Amino acid sequence: MNITKRFGAVVACDAVDLTLDRGRIHGVLGENGAGKSTLMKVLIGLVIPDGGQVKIDGKVATINDPIDAATQGIGMVHQHFSLVDALTVWENVALGDVGKLRPAAIRDRVGDLSSHYGLTIDPDAVVGELPAGMRQRVEIIKCLRRDPQVLIFDEPTSVLTPAESEQLFEALRRVVDEEGRAVALVSHKLDEIRHATDAVTIMRQGKVVERIATADSDAASLARAMVGRPVSLRSESAALGVLPEPAPERDAEATVPGASSVALEIRDATARGGDGRVLLDDLSLDVRPGEILGVAGVEGNGQRELGDLMSSLLHLHGGQVTVAGTKVKTGKAGAMAAAGVAVIPEDRHDSGCVLDMTVAENLFLAEPGRVASGGVMDRKRMKQHAEALIDQYSISCQGPDAPLWSLSGGNQQRVVLARELANQPEVLVAAQPTRGLDVGAIEYMSEQLRAAAASGVAVLLISTELEEILDLADRIVVLSRGKVAGEMSRADVDLESLGLLMGGALIDEAEGGAAQ
Amino acid sequence: MTDVVAQPTENSPDEVSAAARGRHLVVSEVITLYALSIFCALALAGILVTVTGGSAADVFNALLDGSVRNPGRWGLTLGAAAPLLLVALGTIVSARAGLVNIGQEGQLLIGAAFATYVGTRLGGPGPVVVMGLCIAGIVGGAIWAGFAGALRYWRGVPEVLTTLLLATVAGSAVGYGLKNEWLLLAPAGDRANRNQVSEQLADDNRLPRITWFGNEFPTTVFLAIALAAATAFVLARTVPGFRLRMLGQNPRTAQRAGVGATRYGMASMLISGGFAGLAGAAMLAGGDFGNYQLVPGFSTNIGWTGLLVALVARERAVSAIVVAFVFAGLRTGSGFLAATGVERKITDVVQALLVLALLIPPAVLYIRERRRAVNASKERV
Repeated sequence: MNITKRFGAVVACDAVDLTLDRGRIHGVLGENGAGKSTLMKVLIGLVIPDGGQVKIDGKVATINDPIDAATQGIGMVHQHFSLVDALTVWENVALGDVGKLRPAAIRDRVGDLSSHYGLTIDPDAVVGELPAGMRQRVEIIKCLRRDPQVLIFDEPTSVLTPAESEQLFEALRRVVDEEGRAVALVSHKLDEIRHATDAVTIMRQGKVVERIATADSDAASLARAMVGRPVSLRSESAALGVLPEPAPERDAEATVPGASSVALEIRDATARGGDGRVLLDDLSLDVRPGEILGVAGVEGNGQRELGDLMSSLLHLHGGQVTVAGTKVKTGKAGAMAAAGVAVIPEDRHDSGCVLDMTVAENLFLAEPGRVASGGVMDRKRMKQHAEALIDQYSISCQGPDAPLWSLSGGNQQRVVLARELANQPEVLVAAQPTRGLDVGAIEYMSEQLRAAAASGVAVLLISTELEEILDLADRIVVLSRGKVAGEMSRADVDLESLGLLMGGALIDEAEGGAAQ
Repeated sequence: MTDVVAQPTENSPDEVSAAARGRHLVVSEVITLYALSIFCALALAGILVTVTGGSAADVFNALLDGSVRNPGRWGLTLGAAAPLLLVALGTIVSARAGLVNIGQEGQLLIGAAFATYVGTRLGGPGPVVVMGLCIAGIVGGAIWAGFAGALRYWRGVPEVLTTLLLATVAGSAVGYGLKNEWLLLAPAGDRANRNQVSEQLADDNRLPRITWFGNEFPTTVFLAIALAAATAFVLARTVPGFRLRMLGQNPRTAQRAGVGATRYGMASMLISGGFAGLAGAAMLAGGDFGNYQLVPGFSTNIGWTGLLVALVARERAVSAIVVAFVFAGLRTGSGFLAATGVERKITDVVQALLVLALLIPPAVLYIRERRRAVNASKERV
């Protein structure tokens, strides 16, 4: 097949070819947004391609929806389950069936499948009470029951423990070896691709960059292929001075006032979710004034939690956060803001602004006292201050009294930026600051972050966009499974080891890979 | 799926001018909505009354006579409007903080009970006792709402449920108080038959009443209107009001900005209950509801109706003044309906139709606002 899928101007899949063979597990590797999921959705009929075709056993197949896909023998286990919590396992399996319901038959079938593939499960258990690994088994059994010839797994291990992953891979092996089905395993984890697949296709920015037999690959080459940039482009940019090599004068400036001064220090931060899942695991990092620290990593490895921590939205079970030498209580309303931490949150609608309030109100959310006297807000003063900020940050809106929802995404982001910087922060946390913005807005945001750092603010840039990190950061740490997996300065970034770290490899393994 | 197209994010000129035009349209649109809605309700009610053999004109005349036209009636209507307005103000305060307090009926009753206890036992000059019983009412209502608030913030129990259920508990609790002399029950004296009622407030311990143009009403009317203005001002113009609205509209942003949900939410719950409790005290000491004494069923749906007032006023304190008067008018007007000879069940339906007519426009406006917000967020994707 040769698939092209465009979303507006964005080409999610650009003339992608992928061949899945019977009796083999085929890995599809790539960063977030590389087009892996889109490609799989084409196979399952959730996305209709703009160009190209899908062939099954040599015949061109039209797949218009998941039911089409199922009848033609393609099944998919999604990353996010589609199960009904209140129903039992067999009831979930039977969902979508037509005709008379025969509970006994379905229950038996579930039992057969689970014993056959070693996916032990109780058909009468209520799904809502099962842990994530078991729910995934339900999804797999749902899929296998239709006897598919092609099975697609989208990031199947993201919800599993290592032991559960191991069991899953054993079951997959049986599916391909004994029954000759084809399996596609979508992942961004290097070790599981190497461990579980026979062949691998690597995607980057909607294109296939490499096809290789897993046996012929090593972690380093996979990592390079996954994150690597076209070499010529990089050197060209460097030659043009686009890529900011850490500017020496700025470094000097930053370190002179106090080499030991650290604006933000996080020590051994540990947090668990309500279900006992580890969100942050002994995470430690520090940022000096005037420095941009880039936090790289694959999404879902603690980025959101780190952002929440700095927004007083997450309480630590262990460890501490120190801002400009003062320990700050975590999870206490407004404590971080009061200590001088400005945040451009990952999702501004979630914790950055209030859509139903006016632009002016949004500019003074954290410190309404600045435009109030005796607890009464001075509308005139508020309007004046707001107009000044609107000018300074070129926010395009109908005026200070326009509701925030009437602004475009880029301008809402500017409102957040204006508010956060207006308070003269010690630390600026920017989490995915350019997500969903257009090119011009991205450029503007980057300039603002650089300017903030130049004025002595410690900038913590959390981003899953490696481009952005490489473009802005002076120093880079990689977040993996809630902890810092490794650190390097911008000057000696090595894409291979960066890729390895993002893929969850251990630090020494990364160094070994880099040496190869 | 395929519709997810990356759109340019700037506002189109169309959208901008539409928003400008919007402001002029809003007022006339709201008026049209209400006119249409009330017209439909009157037409339906008229048909219903005529079909069942009554006279529609008689019914509407009776409603008007009872509420405002006959001598002395608008004073009564004002007297009923005061507690309705107070309850509505409390509802507005909690709603702005994102809480759904629907147990005003119970909070009001507990407030009235506290006020009765203090008002019948506290000695001293009249004004001091009146002040004391009002404060007791506020405290009682706040405690009752506070239970729900505490359950919400420390145990995660939805306040919608607890406030509602506590309203039932309040009825029983006050019933118990009215059976026991050490609580609320009036001393037996020399009467053989004891009713389960409290002692009357002494003459000095009642709120003063005012007479204007032959209409008599309690001073709580002024208190309620002043509080409505104050509530509107605090919510719109002060820092605490700003923070409360922030909490209601985006709790996570509020938390980041230093507005702790527990602290501000709990405070708004206590204030909300306090307003309902004050309404109870005002009913007791104001004189339009019974004989300055607590009786079973004292709250007579003022709490529920006050909730409706807040809804119809679209959670705006100043609009609530007018809406409270309209609802009070329906209440006092219905007193005259019996004289029209139209069957009681039919007149009940007529009243319900009028209430519905008042509720539909705010619902339509609300739905439209939500749709607009959803559309706006879709455009931003």
